[in-house]
Amino acid sequence: MELRNRFKKVVNRSKTETVNTEVPTGLLRKCNKCKAAILTEEVKANYYTCPKCGGYFRMHAYRRIEMITEHGSFHCWDMGLTTHNPLEYKGYEEKVKMLQEKTGLDEAVITGSALIGEQKVALAVMDGRFMMASMGEVVGEKITRAIERATTEKLPLIIFCCSGGARMQEGIVSLMQMAKTSAALKRHSDAGQLYISVLTEPTTGGVTASFGMLGDIILAEPKALIGFAGPRVIEQTIGQKLPKGFQRAEYLLEHGFVDAIVERKDMKATLAHILQLHVKQAEENAQNKNVMSETENSDTDSETGDMDTSINSDLTAWERVEKSRRNDRPVAEDYIEAMFPDFMEFHGDRYAKDDTAIIGGVATFHGMPVTVIAQAKGRNTKENIAHNFAMPSPDGYRKALRLMKQAEKFDRPVLCFVDTPGAFCGLEAEERGQGEAIARNIYEMSGLRVPVLSIFIGEGGSGGALAMATADEVWMLENSIYSILSPEGYATILWKDSKRAKEAAKVMKLTAKDLKEAGVVEEIIPEPATYIKETLQEVTDCLDTKITAYLERYANMNKEELVEKRYSRFRGVGKW
Amino acid sequence: MINKVLIANRGEIAVRIIRACREMGIETVAVYSEADRDALHTQLADEAICIGPAESTQSYLNMERIISATIISGADAVHPGFGFLSENAQFVRLCEKCNITFIGPTAEVMEKLGNKSVARNTMVEAGVPVIPGSAESIYDVETGAPIADQIGYPVIIKAALGGGGKGMRVAETPEEFASAFQMAQKETQMAFGDNTMYIEHFVQHPRHIEFQILADEHGHVIHLGERDCSIQRNHQKMVEESPSMALSDALRKSMGEAAVKAAKAANYTNAGTIEFLLEKNNNYYFMEMNTRIQVEHPVTEWVTGIDLIKEQIRIADGQELRHTQEEVQITGHAIECRINAENPAKNFRPSPGTITELYMPGGKGVRIDSAIYSGYTVPPYYDSMLAKIIVYARTRSEAIKKMRSVLGEVIIGGIDTNIDYQYEIMNHPDYISGNIDIEFIEKMQG
Repeated sequence: MELRNRFKKVVNRSKTETVNTEVPTGLLRKCNKCKAAILTEEVKANYYTCPKCGGYFRMHAYRRIEMITEHGSFHCWDMGLTTHNPLEYKGYEEKVKMLQEKTGLDEAVITGSALIGEQKVALAVMDGRFMMASMGEVVGEKITRAIERATTEKLPLIIFCCSGGARMQEGIVSLMQMAKTSAALKRHSDAGQLYISVLTEPTTGGVTASFGMLGDIILAEPKALIGFAGPRVIEQTIGQKLPKGFQRAEYLLEHGFVDAIVERKDMKATLAHILQLHVKQAEENAQNKNVMSETENSDTDSETGDMDTSINSDLTAWERVEKSRRNDRPVAEDYIEAMFPDFMEFHGDRYAKDDTAIIGGVATFHGMPVTVIAQAKGRNTKENIAHNFAMPSPDGYRKALRLMKQAEKFDRPVLCFVDTPGAFCGLEAEERGQGEAIARNIYEMSGLRVPVLSIFIGEGGSGGALAMATADEVWMLENSIYSILSPEGYATILWKDSKRAKEAAKVMKLTAKDLKEAGVVEEIIPEPATYIKETLQEVTDCLDTKITAYLERYANMNKEELVEKRYSRFRGVGKW
Repeated sequence: MINKVLIANRGEIAVRIIRACREMGIETVAVYSEADRDALHTQLADEAICIGPAESTQSYLNMERIISATIISGADAVHPGFGFLSENAQFVRLCEKCNITFIGPTAEVMEKLGNKSVARNTMVEAGVPVIPGSAESIYDVETGAPIADQIGYPVIIKAALGGGGKGMRVAETPEEFASAFQMAQKETQMAFGDNTMYIEHFVQHPRHIEFQILADEHGHVIHLGERDCSIQRNHQKMVEESPSMALSDALRKSMGEAAVKAAKAANYTNAGTIEFLLEKNNNYYFMEMNTRIQVEHPVTEWVTGIDLIKEQIRIADGQELRHTQEEVQITGHAIECRINAENPAKNFRPSPGTITELYMPGGKGVRIDSAIYSGYTVPPYYDSMLAKIIVYARTRSEAIKKMRSVLGEVIIGGIDTNIDYQYEIMNHPDYISGNIDIEFIEKMQG
């Protein structure tokens, strides 16, 4: 049955009053992303994101400061600088003046100091309302002054980037700001100071190509446009349509340029966490070391050491190979969850990719900041595919090296968990220089001026393992292995028969016991008879004690002595 | 003066409101989703505005679009019906800001009564009996467990904001508390986007008795007697009647006065319902106040002769109540059965689809509020209620017989319905004798 136009619509109209309903100005606004009408108050309550599509609104600098700093703690620096109009560009000064009146800002960036948590920081926040926060001499000058002051006052520096790039109206003077700000950041970094860069929609041109990409840690807001050349320029130049998601924060994360994507609601907590992981408090460290000493005193080597072969001493080499590869064996992420609950992962090699076969980041170990890097197998097939079965590509090793260099800068010990069948064997890996990446890691690690400890938790496949094990000490779990090649590969090369892997395993001397006897490893960590996630704690408890003792031995060692000791450790192999 | 009302709802209640407006000489504007283009309310109203895709979040729950439709159509008032935005204080506040008359209570009152903890405290202060329960909002098991011990088991854990049976769990013993709490909280988070919980003594084998209230903006509050809504499945009402067999005149007077006191304490205006649990020993406890018109309002209309929708509009228009408490007389007996598109044999699974055949009976004392017609397609996006059958007779037993007769006549072809199930209830010895409580359906299903 069709109802349309079937009903009589009779009403007795007696309109005496005019309707005076209306939407008050400012009650609603429109989301540029999903085009929906949305309530302004919901947008504000939602950290300036769209309640319908989750899209991010650009934020005024002062709102941003309110959102990430402690109330009332912000103090402005260097207000009142105005452009000299170096090109004498017509109408430019008028435009700046008009924007100053309209926005209440003196230029496109606000700088100052503030508290985030209990940590005082130097802060620069760009404001897109002011000529798309393009960088002219004032922006460059204010940011440079903020960097210099942060360096002098030994403050961590945070810059919220948002910019169309260099300011065209100021010509070459604008371009020079890229050099000026970058040079100041070099000095800040050389002074051992922390710089966190936060990239927001949009960060492009000369800002990306200077301070935007120079953070020790680079964070980005979800879906933010980040790039050097703008997408329209690229499209017109190459005459092609750009792929979906090109130059978005997620794309940059995947390509190794961003440490983490952080939602706005989590930004303050994330910054506070990172700052806390970088607090340099000599006293606190000293205190920690005292605690460590006590732990060590109560726990001598004779208790935990040399128990290595007591449990499963009758296992054959091949049985240990099988154990090291078991699917239910705890993986790196299990150790990290158990031992480093405040672990914060940082992504990317800053060259090409974020390799998921290696995870790395910063955490505290009994209050001491440490860099943790691990080859990450998955707990199931799906996770294994996501982590490429812990077979790192060059990008993974470069990420590891980047994080180690960062650890060196901030004087943090490096703890590596090794568990790989071997470096990834493939076309792209060779193209990007697998050999170079492994070599570079071994080379740089040998001279790293912080303690480096490597723990083998499963498979230690060849150069792929050594690139994370050129360490002061190498420890192995009882049923982990470490070898020049997989037993299958060894059998193939020497006997042209991969089925003779069992035999090869025996010949290769790849078990922890063999390797300790050979002087390649320092410690063997006993495993429970059934080693699965449920029994992980037995091992992590032991590791906890031993790592504490290790740090006690190495953390205060003279840098030269430390490097010399590591050199001797490898120099001594095959010496006669 | 209200000249034009936008009905922010669909289905039979939208139709019911359009009819009332028409009788009052008020123009009507329907809003509809893309799935409701051919719905009765869309076709029946003087004007109709499409407000978005089928999903209710995109249409009937989209405040911005409904406000825009109101302004564009020139309507000066919005009737929210029940469900959807009817108890959304933020929506009411938006209407207030846009100078649109919301036919219901103010945002402030709605907010207060919508939060169970706040509502309860208001009632305690007003001297209305409440179930012993937690005084504060609870967010975790650790805080909740000792409070549950204090209240005394069994306890029920509920969502502080909410209703409709979502986010509720009973713990019979302290051992069950942790898991019951966690499950209730999980559901609450999913249903309401909030994890505030509330714990109270679980009253065993009670009846659900609710009192209809009318309150004007001039301080007058009256009640229109009770409805017995004990026949429920999973906290969803199936059969409602007025008056309740369980209430003596004295108890009705006492509970009615408590209901009026409750409405006054909340500064309530417009039509509302005070829900009580009534124990076998005649103890009764305030449960919650529903700040909207109820599905089951026709049974009250029939025994009192008062048109509740029209009264709602009059009150929203600033007029005084037309009846005093003394003038309200309850005569006869009315029963309502909800007819849903669902299959009772398959755990009441919803059964959307096209209605191929339809016959609805009539006769003296029969009222059918519905929005279905022959050839109508029941969309899968909204609740499954197809119609409300209401009968009226001098006595309860006569009303039951009339309901059986009507249910036996109804023909709805093409989709599954619960008509036969309702017929079984009407023939159940315990229902006939009036020996019912809120566990009736559970017991009937064994």
